[in-house]
Amino acid sequence: MAVEISRRRFLQGSVAMTVVGGMAMTPSNLFSKEKVHGEVSITTKTGTGKATLVPTLCEMCVNKCAAMARVENGVVTKLDPNPMFPKSRNMLCPRGNAGIQELYDPDRLKYPMIRIGEKGEGKFKRVTWEEAYDAILNGTDKFPGLAKILDEEKDNRSSIFFCAGEGMAEHTFKIFYEGFGSSNWLNHASLCLRTVVSGYGVTLGAYPMADLENAEYIIMAGANRAEAIVTPDTMDFFKRTKGRGAKLICIDPRFTNTAAKADKWFPIKPGTDLAFVLALSYVAVMEELYDKAYVEKYFRDFNKYKNHLYAEGYTPEWAEKITGIPAKEIYQIARDFMKHAPKAVYYPGRRSTFAKNDFQLRRAMAIFQALGGGIDTEGGLVFGKKLPLKGHETVAPMYAQAQGVDVTRAKSKPGYDDCAIVSGGGSWIAFRNRVLEGRSVYPIRGMFLYKHNPMMNMPNSAKTAKFLKGLDLNVVIDIMPSDTAMYADVILPECTYLERTDPVKSFGGPEPSIAVRNKVIDPMYETKPVIEILRGLTEKISKPLFEITKKYDEDVQDDIANRGEEEVYKDFDLTIPFRHSQEELNEHAVSDYPGAYEALKKHGVFYPKMEEYFKQVSVNEHRYYPDEAKAYSVAGGKPKTPSGKVECNLKSMARKGVDPMPTWRKEYEYSVPEGKFRMLTGRHAQFTQSGTANNAMLHDLIHENYIWINKRVAKKMGIRFGDLVEVSSSAGKVQIKAYPTEKIAPDQVFFIHGFGEESEALTWAYRSGGNDNAIIEDVVEPVYGGAAMHETNVAIRKV
Amino acid sequence: MARYGMALDYKNCINCKACEVACKEENGILLGADKHRIWVGVKEIEGEFPLLSIASNTFMPSQCQQCDNAPCQEVCPTHATYYDENGVVRVDPDKCILCSYCMNACPYDARYVDDRTVTVDKCNFCSDTRLARGETTTACQATCPTKVRIFGDLDDPESELSQVLREREHFTLKTHLGTEPKLFYLI
Amino acid sequence: MDLQKIIPYRKMSLKELLIPENKFMAFVAVALTALFLIGVGIYLVHGHHAYGVTRQHPWGLLIAVYIFFVVSSTGLCIVGSFGDVFGFKDYMSVSKRAIFGSIVTILAGFAVIAFEIGHPVRMMIYNVLSPGLTSAIWWMGTLYGIYLTFMIIEFIFLVRNDMKRAKVAGLIGLLVGLAAHSNLGGVFGFLNARVVANGVFYPTYFILTAFITGIYLIFLMYGYKYRGQDFPSDIAKALTNFMKIQGLLLAILMFFETWKMLTGVYGGMPERADVIMHILHTKSFWLGEVLCGMVIPFVLILATKGSAIKKMVWASFIGMIGIFYMRYDLVHDAQLFPMQTLKIREYQLPPSFVEYFPSSTEIMIGIGGVGICLILYYLGTKLFDLDTMPEHH
Repeated sequence: MAVEISRRRFLQGSVAMTVVGGMAMTPSNLFSKEKVHGEVSITTKTGTGKATLVPTLCEMCVNKCAAMARVENGVVTKLDPNPMFPKSRNMLCPRGNAGIQELYDPDRLKYPMIRIGEKGEGKFKRVTWEEAYDAILNGTDKFPGLAKILDEEKDNRSSIFFCAGEGMAEHTFKIFYEGFGSSNWLNHASLCLRTVVSGYGVTLGAYPMADLENAEYIIMAGANRAEAIVTPDTMDFFKRTKGRGAKLICIDPRFTNTAAKADKWFPIKPGTDLAFVLALSYVAVMEELYDKAYVEKYFRDFNKYKNHLYAEGYTPEWAEKITGIPAKEIYQIARDFMKHAPKAVYYPGRRSTFAKNDFQLRRAMAIFQALGGGIDTEGGLVFGKKLPLKGHETVAPMYAQAQGVDVTRAKSKPGYDDCAIVSGGGSWIAFRNRVLEGRSVYPIRGMFLYKHNPMMNMPNSAKTAKFLKGLDLNVVIDIMPSDTAMYADVILPECTYLERTDPVKSFGGPEPSIAVRNKVIDPMYETKPVIEILRGLTEKISKPLFEITKKYDEDVQDDIANRGEEEVYKDFDLTIPFRHSQEELNEHAVSDYPGAYEALKKHGVFYPKMEEYFKQVSVNEHRYYPDEAKAYSVAGGKPKTPSGKVECNLKSMARKGVDPMPTWRKEYEYSVPEGKFRMLTGRHAQFTQSGTANNAMLHDLIHENYIWINKRVAKKMGIRFGDLVEVSSSAGKVQIKAYPTEKIAPDQVFFIHGFGEESEALTWAYRSGGNDNAIIEDVVEPVYGGAAMHETNVAIRKV
Repeated sequence: MARYGMALDYKNCINCKACEVACKEENGILLGADKHRIWVGVKEIEGEFPLLSIASNTFMPSQCQQCDNAPCQEVCPTHATYYDENGVVRVDPDKCILCSYCMNACPYDARYVDDRTVTVDKCNFCSDTRLARGETTTACQATCPTKVRIFGDLDDPESELSQVLREREHFTLKTHLGTEPKLFYLI
Repeated sequence: MDLQKIIPYRKMSLKELLIPENKFMAFVAVALTALFLIGVGIYLVHGHHAYGVTRQHPWGLLIAVYIFFVVSSTGLCIVGSFGDVFGFKDYMSVSKRAIFGSIVTILAGFAVIAFEIGHPVRMMIYNVLSPGLTSAIWWMGTLYGIYLTFMIIEFIFLVRNDMKRAKVAGLIGLLVGLAAHSNLGGVFGFLNARVVANGVFYPTYFILTAFITGIYLIFLMYGYKYRGQDFPSDIAKALTNFMKIQGLLLAILMFFETWKMLTGVYGGMPERADVIMHILHTKSFWLGEVLCGMVIPFVLILATKGSAIKKMVWASFIGMIGIFYMRYDLVHDAQLFPMQTLKIREYQLPPSFVEYFPSSTEIMIGIGGVGICLILYYLGTKLFDLDTMPEHH
């Protein structure tokens, strides 16, 4: 960002902060052998004087834990856990604690900007908000605006697509998308938990939570709760592992921090979990260990599934060959699980799709869990309750010219044929590739992107770069000059979560509650919350875009003839949803609960009878609901599927070419060519993907990611700790330092996702470590079009 | 007047380092590899893949042990290191001459140099921040996801800390050195 | 006040004072002092960041150099005391020079430590205002302060040929010096957590090696003074005696070291045996400490039956290199074993022996201290008569 953002420019504006030492303190390496790290400190010691405490919700990852922000002289000096929120149970993780560094990140996007250089070059100029909105509508000499594009596309609103990362204000942005009338909405789901949510959804009727507070036996496969923290799961069960009430079986190709807490750890071959679950199910069924009463009452097509297991021969001995887990252990795990059931959990997890069979794996997991009867019950998987909120006014105009996503389903014709089912969040990777390869049915010309970083979060970054370059108009709403923001035409700077009030949210579960993110301090620089950004934007573009609709949309023309333009425009007025302030909308949303709005302001959290129920029971623990009031069981174990049964056999799936019952296929088998390695990726407790990449505090804990490579293999290859290696695949290559360890198999390598950004505007993140998506190949999961992240083999060479 | 100590249910620890970050943010600690008051340690795992020793991979959250018989205090030539009225081992930066003797004498590597005051700094149980404001927890305890720490008054038999130490087996680090640590690791 | 009355010195012009007779040594002294000043300049700008010291290895080269100088000082004090304090006539002729040497070496030591201690001025204030009586550093520092005072008093009386008062001051200085010096050993000996340093060894070892160092230095001082010519008979006699004493002292030192190493490794006790084994695998121990510091001089003494006092000058030079290694190694070895043996960062090798190598700034200040020492010594030789002693007292 050559013009407006100097990456060395330090904090500016009116914020009084202790900037200790600063760059001036940089000790010279000339004089000392010690490697100098983290020469900048922007921590502020908390004071003992006057301070305001504001309850808020964290946004350093997706969990939304409750925090109390301490504000002294207008400066946020500390984020503490807010003990009143049942979901986050009085804790903040390292990232939550480091939220202050996001707020005071000197690299933040500070002003609206428009592109003046080549697309992707990162050259922008600072403009006013009005100029930015105008550029979006009317373009500049560098790029066309919405008016031109929609005119050329004859009001095909779908030529502009919308994408958003997960977040509380994602909803606000989606309202804009709905009003705009595009049919292309892409969110993080297909790069994230699409298959697990859907797999459980079609099998049990919902994506359940796990009651890890009461489970006695937990199989955690492909989930890493010690490092990929999910609240309250992480807090609930690590207090009980290690022989203290919860037996933990960890199944993971590599030895994670979760494995360190397990009773047993089995390094399964990547992508073969389905075979493991099928064998567990086989033992449970054939040895008749399952909960017969539950199966009798709540299973559909159980016998079919039983016969399927038997006919396919899914024995532990069979699974041993595929998974590498000894058959006798599989027998033991199945027997132990069923012995503890229903207080036994095969943990559903919530992660990216790793293998092509992920949807079937999730189905098999759900069915296995149900075999033990541990559905909608204490210590098993639970649906819980959710406190309903009142909706608000939106607009959803009908644009006759807007084309749909699934314009053709025929395999032979171009269109959305990359996967079997088109879900709400779309298939990002399939969408990108379709546009890139000219297979899109209609031109895709521009995008609105909110809090999302496809350059980092989607396999094959090179393709994403090409894709973004090819678009006519890229509008990016973000807080950081991310790699993706570099490809923007217009950048609209959002404020961080500590500077805005977000839509109030209801959190379901056995201990349901409503929580809100209250604004802690006023937005810094010229940043705004997304609701205000959209208010300004829609005021600018609503009318002019309606003119284009009028020009091409015959239905609208007819309607105007009947009702008059003023009346018809009311249906097309994009400003309507953004007229009220977020506070007003929130007050309305909880207006059914007396005292809720006040409680949310004061405590950040509300649930009925909170005053009576909530109490501190020890220095660390709090009671949210008395045991008898916890909603472990809401329907006596009944699944939430339309049939009220566990769906073993999905005939509707068969019609789409998807196995109706979880089935192992030969092509799922794990193999790596000689001399290559299977590339694994994953999370870390001190890092939330690329979103925290530039956080000075977290960066101080991990400066860069290292690639795990088996110690003995590394030795043979002459690779030592810290040596730079080049990792390459058909998608690209990265250079990264080596971390030889025994915690990984000889034919696999691993490094944490979220490092290696290429945006020079990021002081800390710029080229620190390697970007996994630069080398992960774009393999599309066939059912929902998820990006299968663990299907890439890579070569390694010492640099 | 109290005698502050801390029990650590260390088996709860998942090595997330929330404590370290909370400590840095609360107490305004400098960034930098060597600049930390508290930390989580882990041993290099034993065994060869796939026969790894889970038992060898324990996480050990740690910090200044707040010794009752602190070597760092004993060796300080100017009484810059002192026991405050609550038995907390603290450093008076006005008196510290940075001879670094205490850093050498501490058996726990709990001391480091603060580049702002150019004096030795260490964990003080948040005495000049949270405790000074009347709060009853340290930053590391409050933030911990798995609630490893119980901070409290050892002189108060009714405190949760005293109770848990009566009821649960525990050990202290490098006990044989006679430092009498006030950090207790619960088994 | 007439300075001449307090301490008689040779009157000369500044020009006279600043014209050295040995250009090479003058150049060395000035160059080293310049290095010292550059190093100090860098330190004043960058603080301890300019040093190679770390959290795990807070004491570096400058502590070693400081010890090197104060050991030298104590050694010269012991050597000088033979004559003027204990009245051994054979050694009387070297007393004045030795005592003066002890003053310049400790001043050089103080000059170096001033830039290792973070706040030297604060130290002087709080040393008095809030003395840490359980701290070996407090005792060491305070006693060395008193020691220096008495050494200066002793020297003044020596220059004034007031042998009676010199004897009293010298005796007090010697006793305080020995106390200070053993306290310096105690600084390490009291480190319960550092098993190689902990215990009785260092306080006694320091006194022993101080004596050895003093004898090496007396050879160097006279060797330099009488370079290219024979020693006067009284000096030759003193040196011959010292050479024989040195043989005995080195034998005792080797005996000490042998048992230190044997008890260190015996039984393979964790930390202690690890560190001793590590030491036994270093060149600086075998080549520096053992070969230079003990074996070469010892062999010379044995081979010549303690008579080759000219060759002993060169052996003493080598011996001083060995002494330096002893100082450096003892500081480093004490900190070798990490107090934190767990990994505390995601990507890190498990902590093993703590590594340290002095930064260029430390090296500049460290060896620059020698320059200060040389310049002070030069000024002394110019201003004072360091040789003539009264016939008797």
